[in-house]
Amino acid sequence: MPERPPAIVARGIQRAFGRVQALRGVDLTVPYGEVTALVGPNGAGKTTLLLILATLLMHDDGGVSVAGHDPVEDPGAVRAKIGWMPDSFGVYDQLTTDEYLTFFADAYRLPAAAAARRIAELLELVHLTEYRHQPVHVLSRGQKQRLGVARSLVHEPEILLLDEPASGLDPRSRVELRDLLRGLAADGAAVLVSSHILAELSEMADRVVFVADGVTAGEHRLDELTPATHRWRIQARDPDDLAEALSAFGVTATEAGGGHEVELDGDDAAADLLADLVTDGVRVTAFTPLGRTLEDAYLDLTDDRR
Amino acid sequence: MTLSGIRTMARQEFRVRLRTGRWRTALMVWTSVIGLFSLLLWSALQWLGVTSSIGVTMFSTLMLFVLSLALLVMPATSAQSVNGDRERGTLASVQVTRLTAADIAIGKFAAAWGTGLVALALTTPFAGWAVLEGGVGWLRALAVLAVVALLIGVVCAVSLAASAVFPRTTTSALAAYLAVFALSFGTLIAFLLASALTAETVQRTYGERTVETRVPQTHRVWGWLAPNPYVILADAVPSAIPAGPAGYVLGFEAGRASQYAVVGPVIDPMEWIRNGVRGLRVPPADDYGAYGEYTPYGDAVAIDPRTGEAEDGGPVWPYGLAFNVALGAGALWITVRRLRTPMEEPPGGTRIA
Repeated sequence: MPERPPAIVARGIQRAFGRVQALRGVDLTVPYGEVTALVGPNGAGKTTLLLILATLLMHDDGGVSVAGHDPVEDPGAVRAKIGWMPDSFGVYDQLTTDEYLTFFADAYRLPAAAAARRIAELLELVHLTEYRHQPVHVLSRGQKQRLGVARSLVHEPEILLLDEPASGLDPRSRVELRDLLRGLAADGAAVLVSSHILAELSEMADRVVFVADGVTAGEHRLDELTPATHRWRIQARDPDDLAEALSAFGVTATEAGGGHEVELDGDDAAADLLADLVTDGVRVTAFTPLGRTLEDAYLDLTDDRR
Repeated sequence: MTLSGIRTMARQEFRVRLRTGRWRTALMVWTSVIGLFSLLLWSALQWLGVTSSIGVTMFSTLMLFVLSLALLVMPATSAQSVNGDRERGTLASVQVTRLTAADIAIGKFAAAWGTGLVALALTTPFAGWAVLEGGVGWLRALAVLAVVALLIGVVCAVSLAASAVFPRTTTSALAAYLAVFALSFGTLIAFLLASALTAETVQRTYGERTVETRVPQTHRVWGWLAPNPYVILADAVPSAIPAGPAGYVLGFEAGRASQYAVVGPVIDPMEWIRNGVRGLRVPPADDYGAYGEYTPYGDAVAIDPRTGEAEDGGPVWPYGLAFNVALGAGALWITVRRLRTPMEEPPGGTRIA
């Protein structure tokens, strides 16, 4: 794939609401073909940043380019390329799912035939086909959220801006959302997702941007964040046996969550330990890697700022 | 701004409005009220024994009633359009589409006005009934309907602007009603107070007597009444009263009993308003001795001694209608501006999304 300039480039974005300085200089790069996670505590300015990128709010200072256009100078050109889903949104309860999406297809100036095809495709994608002719108000919260995702995809945007898309979704829908976003990124779209659910982002995102107190606190590739040591949780039929064996192998373990947590130098060390434990006769029932790397990084960053 | 964009937005608004089942009920109640009013009016006129030009009286009264009801109802249909969408969280999703601020504003306006026109169309059977009673030409009837339609549009535009300016739906509804009140009663109050301030001491001769009185110079401040929707409606449409000295409206007959019997009193409330307002534009006459009579309306109306007709100071409605159309256009312009994104300041105390 030829190298494309990044979908979103933001430098030193500032924005104040009255005397409250919401953004104090945010830098952000969102490349095509990847999922970028926007992570930060409540009130860090994630929503404000997404509103600026979505051409809804002006920034006071700094430079922004979305799909190669300035969202203030040429919002129309940006809107044609972006799909935006806010963290909470209303739907027109009285309309059917089909009418709801048709309105947005019209609003994005899709030709009628293409719109009908696209809507059928999207309803299939978010598993709402059977609700096609049902009024929107019969949908559950999670289904409405999925309808929102479908809405933001109506015009096949190259750039997706999603504010807490997973909130209110059941575990199955979350997995499906993750797969959907990964699929879109694989097809070349730039996806920017804000979320609190770090474990989930670590499975979904290629890159992570930390925002705290209105400033970019770090912009990393997720694999860079992977530390030298991993943590694993081990459980056995007889916890005492396990503890004994671990201390015999010279592995420091802490008791947590009904098992023992150990720090190991990567996957090979883990495989060796498991083999040793089994050979030693410890009846191991669970040997789980703990996906806490993103969370650790997040906690470190937000801790620094206190 | 494109026609298809406006159409998309208007169709959506219309559909959402119609889906809330109350609309059917509301339109049914509206029609019933107008129908009941027409029936009672007709019965009252029969009971009073009014025989001449009953159609004129019916049509005139009915349309003033329809205008009143429209002024009362229209703010409710559009004064929560923009901020209501914002509260429900549906506005921002529309603003990020290819629809421009003007598409959204004019689409919403078209839907609101369209709803008003549907309501107005539902009154046409009753207006038609009045026309069939005789005395009102179809042209006059159409002119009246057109002016009412235009005034409904102005109220819709002002209400829509209120919904775009104020973040809270209760505030915007209040503001819209205050605007309607200001147009209907505020103009009258302002006119009365202003004309009191113009009063001058004038010496008047009544035959042989000379009296000193304070006379308001209403011809200087009649403009305060021009924006009044009732004044515009009554003044804009061609008179239903046959031309000539016999065409008196009720009230003028008192002083001119000799001509009372020619046609008989034609009760036309619009004509009262029209004559009253046009009379205000005539500077008060100093010498009432010329025809030796004191007009029943005192200083407000001077009677032309040659024709015996109320002196006509010229039409008021072009000014009023121009004012109202400018008001409506200004309101739309404000709405577009408030819908423009990216915005500098989010509307006070609300989230954009």
